[in-house]
Amino acid sequence: MLRIEDLSKSFGGVAATNNVSVHFPKGSLSAVIGPNGAGKTTFFNLITGAFRPDKGRILLDGQDIAGFSPPEIVRRGIGRAFQIARIFPTLTVHDAILGAVQAHTGQHTVMSRRFPLAETEDRATHVMDLVGLTPKAHTLSRNLSHGDQKLLDIALALVLEPRVLLLDEPTAGMGPEERWTMIDTVHRMWEQERMTLIFIEHDMSIVFKIAQRITVLSYGRVLAEGTPEEIRRHPEVIKAYLGDEFEAAHA
Amino acid sequence: MGNRSSLARDCLIALVAFLVLAALPYIFPSRGFTDFVVRLAAFGIFATSLNLLVGYSGMESFGHGLYFGLGCYSFALIMQNFAVPIPVAFLLTIALSVAVALVVGAICVNLSEIYFAFLTLAFQMLLHSLIIAWTPITGGDQGLTGGIPRPPFLGVRLDDYYHLYLFSAGLLILCLLAMYHIVQSPFGYTLRMIRDNASRAPFLGISVFRVRLMAYIIAGAFGAIGGMIMSLFVSGAFPDFAYWTVSGEGIFMIMLGGITAFLGPVVGAAIFLLLNDMVTKLTTHYGIVLGAVILLFALGLRKGLLDFIVDHWRDRQQSALAAEGRTASSPPSAKPVSAGE
Amino acid sequence: MDLSALGNCVISASCVITQTTSGLIIGLLLFMVAAGVSLIFGVLKVVNFAHGSFYMLGAYFAYTAYQVTGNYAVAVLAGGLGVAIFGLLFERLLISRVYGSPVLMQILVCYGVILILDDVVKLVWGPDFLSFGMPSTFQSLPILFAGGVIPVFYLFLIVMTLVIAVLLGLLITKTRYGKIIRASAVNPTMVSALGINTGVVFASVFVLGGLLAGLAGGLAAPVRSLTAGMGLSVVIESFIVTVIGGMGSVAGALVGSLLIGLVRSFGSIGFPLFTEGLMFLMMVVVLVLKPSGLFGKEGR
Repeated sequence: MLRIEDLSKSFGGVAATNNVSVHFPKGSLSAVIGPNGAGKTTFFNLITGAFRPDKGRILLDGQDIAGFSPPEIVRRGIGRAFQIARIFPTLTVHDAILGAVQAHTGQHTVMSRRFPLAETEDRATHVMDLVGLTPKAHTLSRNLSHGDQKLLDIALALVLEPRVLLLDEPTAGMGPEERWTMIDTVHRMWEQERMTLIFIEHDMSIVFKIAQRITVLSYGRVLAEGTPEEIRRHPEVIKAYLGDEFEAAHA
Repeated sequence: MGNRSSLARDCLIALVAFLVLAALPYIFPSRGFTDFVVRLAAFGIFATSLNLLVGYSGMESFGHGLYFGLGCYSFALIMQNFAVPIPVAFLLTIALSVAVALVVGAICVNLSEIYFAFLTLAFQMLLHSLIIAWTPITGGDQGLTGGIPRPPFLGVRLDDYYHLYLFSAGLLILCLLAMYHIVQSPFGYTLRMIRDNASRAPFLGISVFRVRLMAYIIAGAFGAIGGMIMSLFVSGAFPDFAYWTVSGEGIFMIMLGGITAFLGPVVGAAIFLLLNDMVTKLTTHYGIVLGAVILLFALGLRKGLLDFIVDHWRDRQQSALAAEGRTASSPPSAKPVSAGE
Repeated sequence: MDLSALGNCVISASCVITQTTSGLIIGLLLFMVAAGVSLIFGVLKVVNFAHGSFYMLGAYFAYTAYQVTGNYAVAVLAGGLGVAIFGLLFERLLISRVYGSPVLMQILVCYGVILILDDVVKLVWGPDFLSFGMPSTFQSLPILFAGGVIPVFYLFLIVMTLVIAVLLGLLITKTRYGKIIRASAVNPTMVSALGINTGVVFASVFVLGGLLAGLAGGLAAPVRSLTAGMGLSVVIESFIVTVIGGMGSVAGALVGSLLIGLVRSFGSIGFPLFTEGLMFLMMVVVLVLKPSGLFGKEGR
């Protein structure tokens, strides 16, 4: 589905992404982990077109999308949620999602009719239900709790019917209980929509619980890639990164 | 949300409003009243068009007066120099403004806040300088005098002040109706999304540049209509209508009446004109009073009148919703897998 | 447009001298105002549209001081110090409330102040144009230079403003205060975390800007007629200068001001009615090609 080949990007002489090659099979649920500064978010930025890579290919179903603009990449079916939720503060949850749907169907510049367009309601309701935000439909986005804002962020990405969905630290900033609820939602959503899902995460217990495949980044390079079992046993990974966190989660 | 109106309903409201306005001069038969409404039409349309940019798109233009001046001068010049019916001059002026807005907008629209404000101002002052310099055509700093020919069209005789009143009031209502419809369309909500988070929009597949440019052109066209009404009112055109103070006053009108409420700018324009008229009658120290009022709004209230009212109502609505949310049972979801083992 | 006049001037030594000195003076006085605008923007991120009123007040304060004491030096100092104090009050009472607010809000506050000050000036000094008069020290024969004549006062102005420009440059680059200002422009939170009172720093920048503008007003007074609207054209030109030179760059303000000064003086011969237009054209070109200005930093 999504194959990354020799992807590289430097900023002012520092290689944020260094010859990264990864394969994400269709319909898989993968995690990208690594310490802060390992280049995980840059990796996402390159895939979604926020940055242009210096070198390498990003093959979506065989087509190289490296260097395409964000709207073009969105159109090809890659959706993204952000570490810090990027939402529309003055719009209600319902309106925000409707707005995203109309953008997806290319009707966002229509001036002859009133908002919301009737044909956008179905998709919007479906997505709202999927992330569990229906009860908050008429709440202003800026009044949502942190966790709900992250859900809305994901919802906005889901609207685009992504074949590949990238979630940047979906549980960031949440307490332990809330985190599992969130990851549950993500898991349920993945099962229902059958998309290829890639998420960045710091909480190892979550990663090992639900990820089918794990890619470990370090200093912009791929340190290891494989199933949770393989990663768990990988000497370098254990040595460098999983040490304390792994011990604590599996004591 | 159920409280959104339909185009049909808005047209009805507009019709009623127009009928009311048409009847008013029979109740207030003073020339002063009709003059006020004509000026209100010019500035109301101008301020609302500016708010399309400032309030709805998050584009803080400080050079919107460019279109007011352009509309004023082009309309006057066309009527003075070519024997065309008024509606034709009208359309030509709008076409010219659209062309200018396309060029200026393409250059400015993706610049960040401060540079956008400055560059739009620079373009406006460039027009102003052109007007002052090109004396043979524009009359230079004396302005265009000699009146504007007003050939009747469709039974409308704009040399009759009641006809001018009806024409301006009608234009005001039509323009407000049109701008409101645009703002409540899918396009309008895309504008709000860009305003709220321009960095997210491309990730939804939206071309921010294209949408902003469209908004800028629309705002420019309506701004020019305001200028045209002014040109009819003063029977000519004056360089002051292209001076940066027009932009400043536009911003002030929006601030006075409210950025968020659609009718805020019109309310603000009315307050501004009333203030203007009252103060000039009472004292020659117009500047001190106006300046003090501006400071009061900018530093004290920080919100326009209509916004104040609307926000208060909305806050009450939202806290009611929040209270509902707290008392309702938590939404059903799959049982969470226990953390860690 | 009168290109032949411009052509004739360029080949005439006396014309070149006259126009160049005139351009230098316009430019250097403008620099003193624009430097303040640039500093205020660079450090405080505030667009001080009212800066022209600072200049105007400087001229009027100087006028009154001159009427009272008959001493030009005192007059100029009065202009500078008076406006420095005014700048402090302006910052503390008004501008500090709109830090971080949208640009239009700041412009609105300045617009309000400009309206008030213009009327106050008319009230206090009367609505008529005032003439400062040339101080007797400078009423001597003009100096001959390279085929042209330069009035003594102009020479004084050039020297005086250059000295101030150099002092300002030294202040910014060589003193601890200058370092603090430059640091505040880049990272005010950090500066504050280092225990420096950023409120004082911010206020001081306005004091400095006010001082410069006030001095400029006082220095320029003998060769300008004083009127309530005099601040307006200055502030518009200052903004053109800061845009061309780069917001926050004092060196840029110097280059920009000299450029504008020369364009104005030679331009008024070739394009007598469109001189302002020329400057706006330059502003447009710079904003399109390099929005951060000749010396500005990207991404502001």
